[in-house]
Amino acid sequence: MEVCGSSNPTLREFGSEQNLLSRPDGSSSFVQGDTSVLAGVYGPAEVKVSKEIYDRATLEVVIQTKVGLPSVKERAREQCVRETCEAALLSTLNPRSSLTLILQVVHDDGSLLACFLNAACMALMDAGLPMSCLFAGVTCAIDGDGRIIIDPSAVQEKESRALMTFAIDSKERRVMMSSTKGSFTVHELHQCVAISQKASDNIFEFYRESVRRRYSKSV
Amino acid sequence: MRDTPLSNCERDFILKAIEEKRRLDGRQTYDYRNIKISFGTDYGCCFVDLGKTRVMAQVSCELITPKENRPNDGIMFFNIELSPMASPAFETGRQSELMVKLNRQLERCLRNSKCIDTESLCVVSGEKVWQIRVDVHLLNHDGNLMDATSIAAITALCHFRRPDVGIQGEDVTVYSTEERDPIPLSIYHMPISVSFSFFQQGTYLLVDPCDREERVMDGLLMIAMNKHREICSIQSSGGIMLLKDQVLRCSKIASVKVSEITELINRALENDKKVRKAGGRCGFAESMPQERITALKTHVSPLEMTDVEEKANEIVLRAEAPPQTVPSPVLPGPGTGQVGEGLQSSWGLEEEEEEEEEEEEEEEEQQHKAEEEVTCVAEEKRGVDVVLISDSDSEEEEVVILNQKALTKNATSSNQQMAVDSKLKRQRERQ
Amino acid sequence: MPESITDSKPEKVVCGPGLRGILRHKQPNLYWIDSQQRRYVPSKGENVIGVVTAKSGDIFKVDIGGSEQASLSYLAFEGATKRNRPNVQVGDLVYSQLIVANKDMEPELVCIDSCGRANGLGVFGADGLLFKVSLGLVRRLLAPQSEIAKDLEKMFPFEMVVGMNGRVWVKAKTIQQTLIVANLLESCENMTAQQRQTLFRRVADGSI
Repeated sequence: MEVCGSSNPTLREFGSEQNLLSRPDGSSSFVQGDTSVLAGVYGPAEVKVSKEIYDRATLEVVIQTKVGLPSVKERAREQCVRETCEAALLSTLNPRSSLTLILQVVHDDGSLLACFLNAACMALMDAGLPMSCLFAGVTCAIDGDGRIIIDPSAVQEKESRALMTFAIDSKERRVMMSSTKGSFTVHELHQCVAISQKASDNIFEFYRESVRRRYSKSV
Repeated sequence: MRDTPLSNCERDFILKAIEEKRRLDGRQTYDYRNIKISFGTDYGCCFVDLGKTRVMAQVSCELITPKENRPNDGIMFFNIELSPMASPAFETGRQSELMVKLNRQLERCLRNSKCIDTESLCVVSGEKVWQIRVDVHLLNHDGNLMDATSIAAITALCHFRRPDVGIQGEDVTVYSTEERDPIPLSIYHMPISVSFSFFQQGTYLLVDPCDREERVMDGLLMIAMNKHREICSIQSSGGIMLLKDQVLRCSKIASVKVSEITELINRALENDKKVRKAGGRCGFAESMPQERITALKTHVSPLEMTDVEEKANEIVLRAEAPPQTVPSPVLPGPGTGQVGEGLQSSWGLEEEEEEEEEEEEEEEEQQHKAEEEVTCVAEEKRGVDVVLISDSDSEEEEVVILNQKALTKNATSSNQQMAVDSKLKRQRERQ
Repeated sequence: MPESITDSKPEKVVCGPGLRGILRHKQPNLYWIDSQQRRYVPSKGENVIGVVTAKSGDIFKVDIGGSEQASLSYLAFEGATKRNRPNVQVGDLVYSQLIVANKDMEPELVCIDSCGRANGLGVFGADGLLFKVSLGLVRRLLAPQSEIAKDLEKMFPFEMVVGMNGRVWVKAKTIQQTLIVANLLESCENMTAQQRQTLFRRVADGSI
């Protein structure tokens, strides 16, 4: 939200609710500032013969826009999310089955792809699917003065010179996926990676806390 | 994906329960489930929870040229999205029968009932009118989608504000929300659909069927009505014979339900207006239940950024330095270009020696790669037996290993250095 | 369903995969992570409630909530022979045991034990209600000395069949009582023992 350099950058307030829909096997909502996304997961379920993969589960990611039909941009984002999830999920444990992840945009106020990733991870956790690690999405923007803004709002995104979204894994804070827009120097990229890794700590701590809270009554 | 099949046991039980005037969730025959209406951050976004059924409606607008035969009328467009999130039986991008049925019913309920003043949507006659688009997303299907959809759509339309326009001569300016306050739509009345399901060839009747009741029912009657007791549309499906009295009885029940729901919608709209006026926060984040253990929220969290600069520099340092001089392109002939010198044709006999050298390098590289992979694997193994619930807390940098290799390579020629670089880069990409 | 099984040697511990939830421990050396999934993944030896979806040739196709339909042979019922086929209709409920369940093969069910006895397995559910709960709740219900089941039994007598695949069937004396049991069980999902007991007491007193 704020700017690196002058003061410490901050993540907007974020929150999540798990298990909020009755039909999907796992569901979550993730809110970052005003940006919010609803995610639902089905699976491991029956797979169509045409989509069957003999040694692992078939993962499908569907992004539903709020207005109108999904465009190429959504398709590209679907792919980003799918590849991240595929890297984290141990899909070989359920071969010849289908996993479907549906992401519904509720409100877009910047950092949407990061929010997709976080909602997806929470939903996969809620569904109890085996994963090798968790992941968190963080978006960084570089504004006209070269300052780095983390978790930018829509206005800040518009004013920025470059925009980067990273998926960070929970094990070693490695970058699992990156999607960038605009131009930036190598040094700036490294700085953004470092900040995102830092920010992901907060998100992983949040994941832990929400899982702890969720299971607090069934101990 | 297929839906879970309904067993005979459930079917028999539901029918028996209905005979005894009992329902699965303890409701009475004419009871609705709990209705919760909440709004999104922007105008025209509305969520409706009807028990476990959940839908979201979003209204948007656009300036377009009107239809030729109606130059003064704005256009209403309805789109119902059967998201696969709502039920595994729904598929994306396919016009299912249910979708067509719901869409048609919503159109009849809201467009054909003329509840919205379409003439007020005209900006320049015959040239520019507003198109109001209503997108309804079904998020969770637990029966009675139609009622939830109609409530969400009409509430979203009431909540929606379109931008103000100014006309000066030929020019039409659309003012942003900051410049001029946006304008609400003019809505004459609020039609709301009420669904009745019939069992045992119409002997028993239930209001607001849930998913399992819908699967067992014989027929469905949907009545759209406004609070002035004007019927906007009636639709009967399932092919059961209804008696005149039954339809009349249903319309009486509907009128009661509609006035209750209208009251609820108005209260929700008023509430939202108050909150917005007071400058309070609104939107999905605010409607999230705080008391549930499945929900958690954090506050704005500042990040400790003191060592970010260092860390970034560290990463830069650890990563091998890019070659200082970029070799200028070689032009072997007109129309062709080549960057770098290592790519010269090695087919010639005189370059045998060099080739061998390169092969050696390759081998060396491969060995290193293998070594690195081994260390990586070892690390992972170590990681695994520590990890129990957490998958985190491992502070190791994968770059460390690469760094050592890079150091040993430093002494080699620049040509080789480049080869190493590209190798490492490729490797990192793979990781 | 235990997700992790430890080796008997104390220095070697195999964990995972997919660890999120509560770590539970059973003497001497069994650890597993309990979570509240809804989707069932078949596991050998577990008893499940299935819905017969088709009859084809010598087998029934049974939906058990997993990613594939399970098969159940005509002959895997007590007393069934080639001539004497069991009376099973599409849509019937069967309580059966998984004898084949792994990630690479179609799951297979039987309704007899190794001696050919039904031993509680077979077609059931002429009356009563079937409903779904989370797998975590089912495991808590089936745990020996389960408090939830004990608390429920105090109210009034009823029959209950619990499948590891998250399906529960209950039948009490009247439809009303069956519904009460079903709704109470569904609400147990996220309640502490104390909250549950208060709720049950209030229901028993007739205040709800």
